[in-house]
Amino acid sequence: MSIIFLLIGISLCVALAFLGAFLWAVRSGQYEDDYTPSVRMLFEDEAVPDEK
Amino acid sequence: MPNVAPAPAETRTHTACAHCGDACPDEPIRLAQEPALSFCCQGCRAVYELLAARNLCTYYRLDERPGQKVKPVELPGRFDYLDLESMQSQLLEFRSPTLARLTFSIPQMHCASCIWLLENLFKLNAGITASRVNFLRKELTVSYQPDVTSLKEVVTLLASIGYEPQITLAELGAQPHHANRTLYYQLGVAAFAFGNVMLLALPEYFSFTAQLQAAFGQFFGWLSLLLALPVLLVSARGFYRSAWQGLRQRYINLDFPISLGLTALFVTSVFEITTHRGPGYFDSFTGLVFFMLMGKWVQQRSYDALRFDRDFTSYFPVAATRLTPSGEEAVPVRELRAGQRIRVRHQEIIPADVVLLRGQGLIDYSFVSGESEPVAKVPGDTLYAGGRQVGEAVELEVVREVSQGYLTQLWNNPAFQKADTATLETYANKVGRYFVALTLLLALGAAAYWYPSSPAMALRACTSVLVIACPCALSLATPFALGAALRVLGRHKLYLKNSAVVETLGRADTLVFDKTGTLTDVKRSAVEYEGPALSLAQQQAVAAVVRQSTHPLSQRLAAELPAVSLDVNDFIEVPGAGVRGTVSGVGARVGSASFVGQAAPSAEADVRQSRVYISFGGGLSGCFTFRNVYREGLREVLTELSKTYRLTVLSGDNETERARLRELFGPQAELHFHQTPQQKLDYVAQLRQQGRRVVMVGDGLNDAGALQQADAGLALTDTLTNFSPACDGILEAGSFGRLPTVLGFAQDCLHIVLATFVLSFCYNGIGLGLAVQGRFTPIISAILMPISSLSVMVFATLLVKLAAWRRGL
Repeated sequence: MSIIFLLIGISLCVALAFLGAFLWAVRSGQYEDDYTPSVRMLFEDEAVPDEK
Repeated sequence: MPNVAPAPAETRTHTACAHCGDACPDEPIRLAQEPALSFCCQGCRAVYELLAARNLCTYYRLDERPGQKVKPVELPGRFDYLDLESMQSQLLEFRSPTLARLTFSIPQMHCASCIWLLENLFKLNAGITASRVNFLRKELTVSYQPDVTSLKEVVTLLASIGYEPQITLAELGAQPHHANRTLYYQLGVAAFAFGNVMLLALPEYFSFTAQLQAAFGQFFGWLSLLLALPVLLVSARGFYRSAWQGLRQRYINLDFPISLGLTALFVTSVFEITTHRGPGYFDSFTGLVFFMLMGKWVQQRSYDALRFDRDFTSYFPVAATRLTPSGEEAVPVRELRAGQRIRVRHQEIIPADVVLLRGQGLIDYSFVSGESEPVAKVPGDTLYAGGRQVGEAVELEVVREVSQGYLTQLWNNPAFQKADTATLETYANKVGRYFVALTLLLALGAAAYWYPSSPAMALRACTSVLVIACPCALSLATPFALGAALRVLGRHKLYLKNSAVVETLGRADTLVFDKTGTLTDVKRSAVEYEGPALSLAQQQAVAAVVRQSTHPLSQRLAAELPAVSLDVNDFIEVPGAGVRGTVSGVGARVGSASFVGQAAPSAEADVRQSRVYISFGGGLSGCFTFRNVYREGLREVLTELSKTYRLTVLSGDNETERARLRELFGPQAELHFHQTPQQKLDYVAQLRQQGRRVVMVGDGLNDAGALQQADAGLALTDTLTNFSPACDGILEAGSFGRLPTVLGFAQDCLHIVLATFVLSFCYNGIGLGLAVQGRFTPIISAILMPISSLSVMVFATLLVKLAAWRRGL
């Protein structure tokens, strides 16, 4: 049954990795604006013909 | 050349401007190289030319006529203050010799085209390296190279394309954005710990895992403690801080029992684990913190979406015009010192406490006191910060700087706070206070009862009472239900200051309407002139005189006449009669027939119009006719409202429309005419003294006092930027027809909050009953607490959505 120690250790590590990823996402500002990127991603296609 | 959505070629009907979509004049302004396009003004054409020259016409393809009408007023040197070193150091977030970055607030931003253009600023000015939009906050972050361009050039560019940033004192302080990142961090930590602790607590829930519990209980317990520690230190900090602040002001808020419960839960768990008595309640602890943070997050999101600048500093201009021996100079308000001279022009706000030196002061203090009738001042009088000059430019001498100003003191004075914070306690706070007392008594009682027989049982009963009775479901119900209601209303163009206003609206029993600008649509009212033609000088004289008055008809007339700034001497306004003044040596009178010295109007005069007569130097000239147009759907709205509410009309006009209003409003309604702003305010105050819950609906400009006085003041505006701090909500004029639905919906929301209270009391009642008897086990606690909170949240949100759906919102 001591395998449980190992399994819990691994599951905690995985969870910590996700926490780290979440904290990184917050730090890099991904949660500051969740609307504009959805509009912005449509622009690239539109803007190209203008650059001719 | 890019292909632009062509404007209809027909010129007979008014064509829409290719830039802003407004109606063009009969002779539209055209572009030489693109005759198909018509523009309403030179400003719009200039913007189009600017964009076309840089191949930026995608702007016009992303959205239908996205442009902002560019106001022609261009005061030279308006942005000069941005070149000041002290100003830059306050505004810029980051600064190096090669790069500078700052964030502007741009309220005009409204569609995908705006985002596109603002993010392509680098094509308009080579010095700009990048610009990013945050649409929900209406913010633009610009990075530029200070050696190529300057802050002033960036702002001037934005202003020239119709997106003039709002630069106010509020922006000068620390950037507040990182505050809500904290909540995300707290939420992340709590979610992480909650998930893992739940996993570790699993063996306790099932009896067949007793063996597992025996083997790993200690390890699981310590691990849970380790995971719960960051939750206590990071995630739960906000509750402790709030409870502590409440205590320091001798007020027990809902965060106090939450903190007490959390502390009890944590301490008991630590005690149980360190003394090998059991696994503790860390699953409940982390779960509680997580769910309560979720509630906070939802609340904050809904506030963010309707962010009003409630900070009074937002209403102050940032720069003032200082007079020096060498001429005028723009300085930031913070650099103003006592003894300096400044100039304040028409519609500008006085930035400090000052003494009037030269000119006729006509000060509108509606931002400060809610009193909207301008106060006339003569040289030598003291003027206070926050007032707004209406009329000619005046010269002032600073007595006290803004930081010590009268207004700051006034605003910080709790007595001045709008009555709703003092008298309109939310249900949760009222109930919560009794609840806290009851909980503390029960906890003490349980401990006292059990202590003689078993100290361990006493501790268990006491902490269980605190934990299970922790009214988190109570505190969640209100923000969730009202927050959902705020979002529903915001979608239908009613923007409320905060969720407490929903409650106020739901409890209202009296509706007071302003007439002009609220029931009537002033913008649609046609102005006609009858009589001998006026010379330009005469028109300018009338314009100069009516501009001194805040009466809606004067304002409408001022908008109609050519804009010039002429000095007006001997200006006098006789309420209910008219205005007079001397312009360039000629005495002009504008007002009712008797006021200008004319015989009463003939009897056949149409009752649906208001007449304003003018005369010059004694000789009569002619009259302006305003045809009143009532808002669309007014009759339906009033029929619906009169079933439930007592209706009142307060009009500053004369009684010509009494019959028509009586017919519209029904026999019970009270109609009052010839009301001054002060009388309106007094009337509302009197209604409130009779115990009525008054909702005032006005235009927010000349009835700010009554809006402030009412339980809830709704400003009906055509432009959302036209914000009066006195009101509690802004209703877009187009949504006026939904007023009965909105008020009914607010009532529904109150019932929903009550229903969720009943639900959460049921949970708490069951829990308390078990806890006091000491029959309370960790299993029930762990299951009941998160589920009760979650079900209250879901229940509240779903019911509000259901109510909105049933009301057709």
